[in-house]
Amino acid sequence: MDIITANELLSGATVYLTVDGKWLEEVSKAQTFGPEDKAARDAAVEAANASGRYLSVEIEKAEIIDGRVVPTRLREKIRAEGPTSPRHTPQTLDTPHAKGEDSNVSL
Amino acid sequence: MYRYDEFDAAFVRQRTEQFADQVRRRISGELNEDQFRPLRLMNGLYLQLHAYMLRVAVPYGTLSSKQLRRLAEIARKYDRGYGHFTTRQNIQFNWPRLNDVPKILAELADVEMHAIQTSGNCIRNVTTDQFAGAAADEIIDPRPIAEIIRQWSSLHPEFTFLPRKFKIAITGAPQDRAAVKFHDIGLMAKTGPNGEIGWTVYVGGGLGRTPMVAKQIRDFVDHEHLLAYLEAILRVYNRYGRRDNKYKARIKILVHEAGIDTIRDQVEEEFAAMKDGILKLPQEELDRITAYFAAPAFKEVEQKTIDLPKLKITDPAFARFIERNTHPHFRDGYVSVTVSMKPIGGTPGDATDIQMEAIADLAEKYSFDELRVSHEQNLVLPHVALDDLRAVYEGLVDIDLAEGNTGLITDIISCPGLDYCALATARSIPIAKSISQKFSAPERQEQIGDLKIKISGCINACGHHHVGHIGILGLDRKGVENYQITVGGDASEDAAVGSILGAGIAGDDVPDAIEKLVDLYIEKRESADETFIAAFRRLGEAPFKEALYGTR
Ligand code: SF4
Repeated sequence: MDIITANELLSGATVYLTVDGKWLEEVSKAQTFGPEDKAARDAAVEAANASGRYLSVEIEKAEIIDGRVVPTRLREKIRAEGPTSPRHTPQTLDTPHAKGEDSNVSL
Repeated sequence: MYRYDEFDAAFVRQRTEQFADQVRRRISGELNEDQFRPLRLMNGLYLQLHAYMLRVAVPYGTLSSKQLRRLAEIARKYDRGYGHFTTRQNIQFNWPRLNDVPKILAELADVEMHAIQTSGNCIRNVTTDQFAGAAADEIIDPRPIAEIIRQWSSLHPEFTFLPRKFKIAITGAPQDRAAVKFHDIGLMAKTGPNGEIGWTVYVGGGLGRTPMVAKQIRDFVDHEHLLAYLEAILRVYNRYGRRDNKYKARIKILVHEAGIDTIRDQVEEEFAAMKDGILKLPQEELDRITAYFAAPAFKEVEQKTIDLPKLKITDPAFARFIERNTHPHFRDGYVSVTVSMKPIGGTPGDATDIQMEAIADLAEKYSFDELRVSHEQNLVLPHVALDDLRAVYEGLVDIDLAEGNTGLITDIISCPGLDYCALATARSIPIAKSISQKFSAPERQEQIGDLKIKISGCINACGHHHVGHIGILGLDRKGVENYQITVGGDASEDAAVGSILGAGIAGDDVPDAIEKLVDLYIEKRESADETFIAAFRRLGEAPFKEALYGTR
């Protein structure tokens, strides 16, 4: 299945499109798209690009493991969890705009 | 050190203000990302895996204490308390926020720093020998010419959109510590027919996807005509360099495809036409710039030598530090001290704000306020009196940066790799750390002697793996990190590209693989004086291949 990820404009933080249409740092909250959701997925990517607030918008492969969304590629795992050595936490969204209302991308 | 003149200061201020406005317009939505990206890249701002990354230029690797303190402040105030020194003698901050970048650039401008020429298809920040202006073997201090090249290249309207990026390195010593033969243009000081000093010019070197050793294009150019000659090369490249294929756009490909003789003829033709034009460098101008780089007012030192054999018994760690981390200075009683940014198990090239401030203090107290960044990701205090060595060493012990390992197996070059870099195919830092830990024992490192390991997290080769005596390239094989080992590379004046030994191996197996190569070398070397690279040249790659993969 697929998830959609990007970097948020102000913080550069890695974010994921969530089920309620927000862009948040937690990959566990990412909305998943199956093969039948291709149109919705592509529309979401297009909307994210059009919003101008999200950069490097990408479709990534993911799996559900123990009920949680886990990215398939190592690169994406590192993006989701932060540098591995030494371990650093990922960048956070921390501005009202980035956390806020207009970060919704309508599906 | 060079001080900005009014023009430099005004230009950097203007660029900073322009960029602040561009950021404002990006955030307000007036500029979209396609419009903004080239603007941010022209100001050193990249987007990496986790965040933006700001690459700050350290022209020809020269810093003052004040500048290093400012970098520490920026790391603390706007980043996560550390910075990463790179193989381009620059420093990168990994976590800046877009809104803060104009403030960072303004604070950098206050100490005559910027992030220009660290990205894009322009002439990049000029690099040089980290011991420039201090080394005993130097024919000439290359920094005045490096500064003149900086001034010529910074705003050059004709060369802002070259087919690809363009890197120039310059060394004033016969022992090449700046890897000049792996740059688009490499300059090496040379004494001319009448005893005057000038430059041998190499062109078309590079690493990356297609590593190539530069070819000599001219045996000698005097100072006066150097800029015109460089301009001639750039013109030929700008005209004939390929713009249809990014992977074939560097000058090395042009030189390779057209042949050095053809390129030389074209350059000479251009050069003849402009040789005595406006790019002719008047001696007064060279003298004016050279004056900025005058040697400091050395003091009369009491101590002229060090009793190393005795020290090896009484204080072996300090003895190791002296043996490995000091470099001969042209002035009696002085040395250049390498501050190894490679503590055992640490991230190569990373420095915390506290470490940067402490090193800045040491430079202020003991090295006439001067510092250098080496392309091997270490810092250098260029002018330290032997009388002060103990104090410098103790200052470094306090910040855990007193490892006496310069040039040894744990002095590893490593790019950021997949922990940070958007282009990476595998991680580099954990590999560097695991090798460093495996060979942490000082006696073992000493037994092995000079050995340069260089690691890149993708084919772009920012970690210079092609020119490592042992090189490691991280690749992605069907979603799994895989590391290709090369042996026999050399970035020095005996430039060579390493040979790939065979199929890639898993990351966990890399330290053991390195050990096999090292053990083979120790077994086969003629004496402890025969270095790893010398032994490789004598033995060839076959025994190393066999050590790693067995007989097949
Ligand atoms: S070599 Fe590759 S992974 Fe390493 S810094 Fe350069 S582009 Fe990034």
